[in-house]
Amino acid sequence: VSPSGGTGALAQWVLLELQGEVEPRQSTDLAGSLLGDLHYTCEGVPVLIVGHHILYGKVVQLEKPFAVLVKQGGASQPSPGEPHGHYTVTALIKTKLLFKTRPKPIITHVPKKV
Amino acid sequence: AAMRSRAEVDATLQTAKLNPAELLPAVHCFSFGPQAGGGECCLLQLEPGLCAELEAGRSLIIRGEKDEHAVLCSKDKTYDMKIADTSNMLLFVPGCKTPEELKADQASCNIIHSQIAGFSKNYWELRRCRPKLKKLRKLLMEDPYEGPDSRKDQASTFSKYTTEDLLNLIQASEEEILHQLQVIDACKIEGYWRILDFDYEMKLLNHVTQLIDSESWPLSKVPLCACLEELGSLEPREMIEHILLSYGRKYVDDGEVFFEMHEDKICRAIAQMLLQNAVKFNLSEFEEVWQQSVPEGMTTRLDQLQGLALVDKSSRPETIFLLKVEDLPEDNQERFNSLFGIREKWTEMDITPYIQDLCAEKQTVGTLLTKYARSSMLNGVKVYNSRRPIS
Repeated sequence: VSPSGGTGALAQWVLLELQGEVEPRQSTDLAGSLLGDLHYTCEGVPVLIVGHHILYGKVVQLEKPFAVLVKQGGASQPSPGEPHGHYTVTALIKTKLLFKTRPKPIITHVPKKV
Repeated sequence: AAMRSRAEVDATLQTAKLNPAELLPAVHCFSFGPQAGGGECCLLQLEPGLCAELEAGRSLIIRGEKDEHAVLCSKDKTYDMKIADTSNMLLFVPGCKTPEELKADQASCNIIHSQIAGFSKNYWELRRCRPKLKKLRKLLMEDPYEGPDSRKDQASTFSKYTTEDLLNLIQASEEEILHQLQVIDACKIEGYWRILDFDYEMKLLNHVTQLIDSESWPLSKVPLCACLEELGSLEPREMIEHILLSYGRKYVDDGEVFFEMHEDKICRAIAQMLLQNAVKFNLSEFEEVWQQSVPEGMTTRLDQLQGLALVDKSSRPETIFLLKVEDLPEDNQERFNSLFGIREKWTEMDITPYIQDLCAEKQTVGTLLTKYARSSMLNGVKVYNSRRPIS
């Protein structure tokens, strides 16, 4: 598990923790599809708009940071069984945005009854 | 997919009935990157100190053959790896800024298009563990070094191991491996790590102790040069120096190299030499022969034999037999099973040398006994026996 980029500083990424599954709206490949927009309130509260939901979360400094590992060589996935093989650390994650609150649905159009 | 525009973002805000005045101006538009669904990335939760090691540019190594559970090794520590499942989805995003970073960087773009690099429902968790070093000894014992005259070495078909080989095969950090090589008195011969065959080792030790005796040197001041000179015709100089290093403490006095001999270690080795010749010995007979066999000026004591031999105080007469802790299983439960198979009930004093090495960081012998054994009183003395019936 080697840090990539040699002497350069490791990239810092952020973790987004969401409840439930992430399903793309389209049945096509995940790649390239949009997840949503992330805003922050002036007080620093993260607000994520995913599809028809608004998720409020909080910024958490991780007590135990994560390393993001990318498997080198073969196309086989790092199985949950045994992590054999050579890995490169692509980035470190010290911060996560935790969205635990139940999403608020966005009501887009309420037809007016005449 | 086309990138979202500011107009689209604002429209979404309006639909969501969020007031832009209450929000920071910058917005992140998340989309899934090209590799996101591939599952090539995974998360590793770092124990204290490991993050700093990675930031300093050092590597962590995952070690383990197909039949072993993988461990992660830093420069000097070993960790067990375990998958932790969360019920949540974890997405990892490069280039995502925190509110502090956005506020600090006023000139930042209005829209930040961030690509999610990957996601996972689980991550690797680490737990510091004892390095798995028993294999090291096992590998080196495949072909112990019997000396330069041994014909076996020349025709050897056995595997020999370099430092690099050992690093690849042993589930421990480099420092832990190098330290253990020193502990077991391994030496490098022609680039390969070797353990001395016990008989050869005793032969070398005997040369040295006889020389010390004939020269009447004090045990605390044995001169290296003289040893090499006197014994150099009998054995390779590297071997003479190796045996002095194994059984003595090297120091320099007035520019000359001397060794302070380890009385306990020498007595212990001689005991092993005596004990390995039979299943067990009459204790008092053994103690007499043993004292006579050690160099002049050395005193034998039974506590020198901890982890090497066991005294049976229940037999009449009392006996002693060889039991080497390094021959016992490495796994905790298996070790206790093995010990209780040898003897049904143990006092804490007797069992301690045989379980001491199982203690993890901050663990005591007492904790191990509570977990793996059951205590009872026997003739007023506290003894430990197995928690489960031994067949």
